[in-house]
Amino acid sequence: MSKIDRVVFGDNQFFGINHMSQDKAQAQSERFADLDNIFGVYQNAFDAGVRAIMLNSNDRAASITDRFRSNPSAYPEIAWYPSIPYPHKYANLVAEKGMVGAMNNILFSEGAGSALGKMARGATAMMTLDAVKLMKMLIDQEMTIFKGLDVRVVFLQNIVTDLVMGFGVREAIYEYCEHVRKKHKALPGLITQNMPFTRAKLIEWGIKDVVLCSSINKIGYLMSPDVPTYESVLAENDGDTYPMMAMSTLASGAVPAPEAYEFINQLNIQSVVFGASSRGNIDQSVKLINGQG
Amino acid sequence: MSKLKIGIIGAGRMGVTHHCITNTHPNAQVVATADPSIVMNKMLSKYAGVETYKDYAAMLAKQPLDAVLVCTPPALNYDILKAVHAKGLHAFVEKPFTLSPVLGAELAGLFDGAGLVNQVGYVNRFNDVFGKTKSLIEDGVIGKLVRFRTEMFSSTIIREQEEEGWRASHANGGGAMYEMASHAIDLVNYLFGAPDKISGTCLTPVFSKNVEDIVAGSFRYRSGVTGSIYVNWSDQSFRKPTNKIEVFGTGGKILADQHGMKIYLTEASPKHGYEKGWNQVYITDVFSNVPFYLRGIEFTAQLYHFIDTIVAGGGKTRCNFADGTAALGVIDAMFQDNKELQGELA
Repeated sequence: MSKIDRVVFGDNQFFGINHMSQDKAQAQSERFADLDNIFGVYQNAFDAGVRAIMLNSNDRAASITDRFRSNPSAYPEIAWYPSIPYPHKYANLVAEKGMVGAMNNILFSEGAGSALGKMARGATAMMTLDAVKLMKMLIDQEMTIFKGLDVRVVFLQNIVTDLVMGFGVREAIYEYCEHVRKKHKALPGLITQNMPFTRAKLIEWGIKDVVLCSSINKIGYLMSPDVPTYESVLAENDGDTYPMMAMSTLASGAVPAPEAYEFINQLNIQSVVFGASSRGNIDQSVKLINGQG
Repeated sequence: MSKLKIGIIGAGRMGVTHHCITNTHPNAQVVATADPSIVMNKMLSKYAGVETYKDYAAMLAKQPLDAVLVCTPPALNYDILKAVHAKGLHAFVEKPFTLSPVLGAELAGLFDGAGLVNQVGYVNRFNDVFGKTKSLIEDGVIGKLVRFRTEMFSSTIIREQEEEGWRASHANGGGAMYEMASHAIDLVNYLFGAPDKISGTCLTPVFSKNVEDIVAGSFRYRSGVTGSIYVNWSDQSFRKPTNKIEVFGTGGKILADQHGMKIYLTEASPKHGYEKGWNQVYITDVFSNVPFYLRGIEFTAQLYHFIDTIVAGGGKTRCNFADGTAALGVIDAMFQDNKELQGELA
């Protein structure tokens, strides 16, 4: 029995993310500016049997989790799969203030839960350049959004995972995983656009029990280096040690759902995260992912 | 072969991105970095295992290198690239390369003259959709080229700016023109060649004090082709940086952004597999996979192109210093045009 849910409902559709069409993404982002519209879609997902949600810690996420927390009886029991951080927040801050300035801003800004003790810890960490302590503080900061929820896996966004993996910094990944296990009582997860590379590094470094989430689709979109490498890695993978979660299974709509999940279901993949808005698309996806298509 | 030894000058966001990507190339290894930040140097020394220098001159003097990636504020690049050339090293430099077409041309001459591989980081030239757009235009799919429109939007500068840092002034290379519009301008140069006449330039601040946040203007070509540019990095309705281009010809038009394109044709083009009327091309139809992905296929493609060109023994890159100089020529003309138009109002 897998440690993670087979079907996880994603959030890209809510936040104007569509790799295929910027116009479509823009239109979606306008529609979901209203929280009620987001919850309408969640209800469709619950009706289809979905009980797991992946949510990025972006500036809208807090209002979503607030509603779940404030009225738990209105919703089924949900397993949460947060992904952190919200990369654009940091990217824009870095563009504006530079790397060190951005770091200062995040750790010491008003309204960032900046109690004096925390500021002092942050200041000490900055001065002594304790990157591990800084990282843990940033994780805790992002995770305040998910406080009190049943968190199964905490995913690190691919922009961070792949940067750290490219640099080959074992300590950062090891400490991230330990912190997620001990402090947040969840499984560590890594989103990566280079799954075979990332998995090989984890094996080399002796870091186990990590969920890997990566784009997996028939046409090889956002699969570095290529589909055959993914296929051979998945074939030999132990899904208990490195549970695999597929994202971008439809390649942003380039592959029709039946074809997409026929491909996914013949691979050794433990979980699929998908995003859709309409009841029909959600129902169809859930059935297909569960092999009932 | 032994790996190329790469040095990086400037450990900001682009420096760190290039560092990571370079190390995944089988024929290259970053061995040293130069940056004034004590924080970054300690981090890179500890976690990336490279020699770190506060000063690039010290790095160039002490460290045996094959090539350098220059990722510093552009006002510094002329002096740095002169020193890199004096050491006989290949160079990749982040856009906008330098702040003057005169200095740019001098550097282009020096590096080409010495047979050193040189490249400017205009990453759109490595985007698969824009590459497809170029080949379709050159194939005459939309007939004779008549008019184009290029636009870029982002929510980069969305509040009043303090007057600090190199981004606050033109003298240091700050402002939407150098930092963002330069990408749109290079894309115009790449697709259509540099314009022959620039007019109607409007450089408008929104939140910045001393630099523009909006760039707009008109381009004319001796061939009769005309075009316009509109770049706004203070537009919060765009969550992600968005780069759009519309190209109109006698036989149809192309609408393209980084992720896809729509093509309208007045006649079918069986050779390209397009029908009369609207055709949709997605990034998933034209993408090329890269061995390692960070921040976008084009970032890896761009840097591997530079490294592979050196490994192959040299040659012209897809965006060399002369191309970077051409973009600076357009930027310079737009600044001049804006100044003259403002003078007329004053």
